Amino acid sequence: MLDNLLPPLNEHNLPYPDTIHPIVVHFVIAMVLFAFLCDIIGYFNKNSRLFEVSWWNMFFATISIFIAIIFGQIEAGLAQAYDAVEPVLNLHTIIGWSLSGIIAAITAWRYVIRLRDPKTIPVSYLGVGFALTILVFFQVYLGDELVWVYGLHTVPVVEAVKEGVL
Amino acid sequence: MNSELINQLSLGANGLPYTIPIHPNLVHLTLGLFIIAIAFDFVGVFFTLEKPIFKFFAIKATRSGLFDVGWYNMLASVIITFFTVAAGFYEIMLAQPQTGIKSAWGLEAMETMLWHGVGGVILLAMIAGMTVWRGFQRYIWRKETPRQVQWSYLLVGLLIMFLMYVHGTLGAHMAGEFGIHNTADNLLRLGQDPNTLLK
Repeated sequence: MLDNLLPPLNEHNLPYPDTIHPIVVHFVIAMVLFAFLCDIIGYFNKNSRLFEVSWWNMFFATISIFIAIIFGQIEAGLAQAYDAVEPVLNLHTIIGWSLSGIIAAITAWRYVIRLRDPKTIPVSYLGVGFALTILVFFQVYLGDELVWVYGLHTVPVVEAVKEGVL
Repeated sequence: MNSELINQLSLGANGLPYTIPIHPNLVHLTLGLFIIAIAFDFVGVFFTLEKPIFKFFAIKATRSGLFDVGWYNMLASVIITFFTVAAGFYEIMLAQPQTGIKSAWGLEAMETMLWHGVGGVILLAMIAGMTVWRGFQRYIWRKETPRQVQWSYLLVGLLIMFLMYVHGTLGAHMAGEFGIHNTADNLLRLGQDPNTLLK
């Protein structure tokens, strides 16, 4: 019954032309990584201007990750994940949701640091920033596997699933 | 590139000497940094309107801080984009796309690849030009002006974002429709089962 209410799906098994999640994640990946770079350069060059740039990038990453998760869930739900993909998709999902909490918490911490003294940054924050960078890299790797190794939402894979080959 | 030449290299099922293509990952950085640079310049330009909003949320914000994001993000974008384009050309030279099909925009694989290649170089030149333009505004022309960027700069920024959308969609077609450098797609083309081979 609900089927008639849903928009028709195209040859990518999507209700819109191409995947949106990989576009929204630009604003999480680029912003988190650049924020960390700015913190490191700012710390060693004592350039507090870069701390400001880092803060705003984290601020934007925090908003973006929730939008990324919404589209991620929609596209994961429509992904027709075959057996081999499932563990990777599950891990990518768990880390993705966790990252929303982690990034929001780090940005909240940064908000307090900046309110107290925008000119310095504690080393502990840099350590956490480094850990976040590693986690983002790993998450990107998993997402890459879903697209580039397993071919989710690519026409040949969608076709193979429809024909029952996969 | 013809397949005899490509066969001189020992490549995986995805047609690359490594498992994950590099270019699409660098693209995240190019686009993310460029778009946020322009976005924060917009926020800086309309700062007087937003002041009460920032105050309401108790977020400390200075106009110059927002323009700092506009400048440094643009600078980072141009630096990384040289590598984005380089990785793109490496991977496009190894591409052996699906033939005999047309993309959602009615283009075949070769046309799509050529436009995406040329477009990439043009976009790199535009991003470089924007960075130089932004630098002049920041450090020379508008050093003492509270509104650091010209309207024309923001307008051209929006135009480039539109080009990026067109360009990015061509790239998406290369990946999602022609299956370039996609392991599962290539295995299916060879009549093999990704489900058992990629477990």
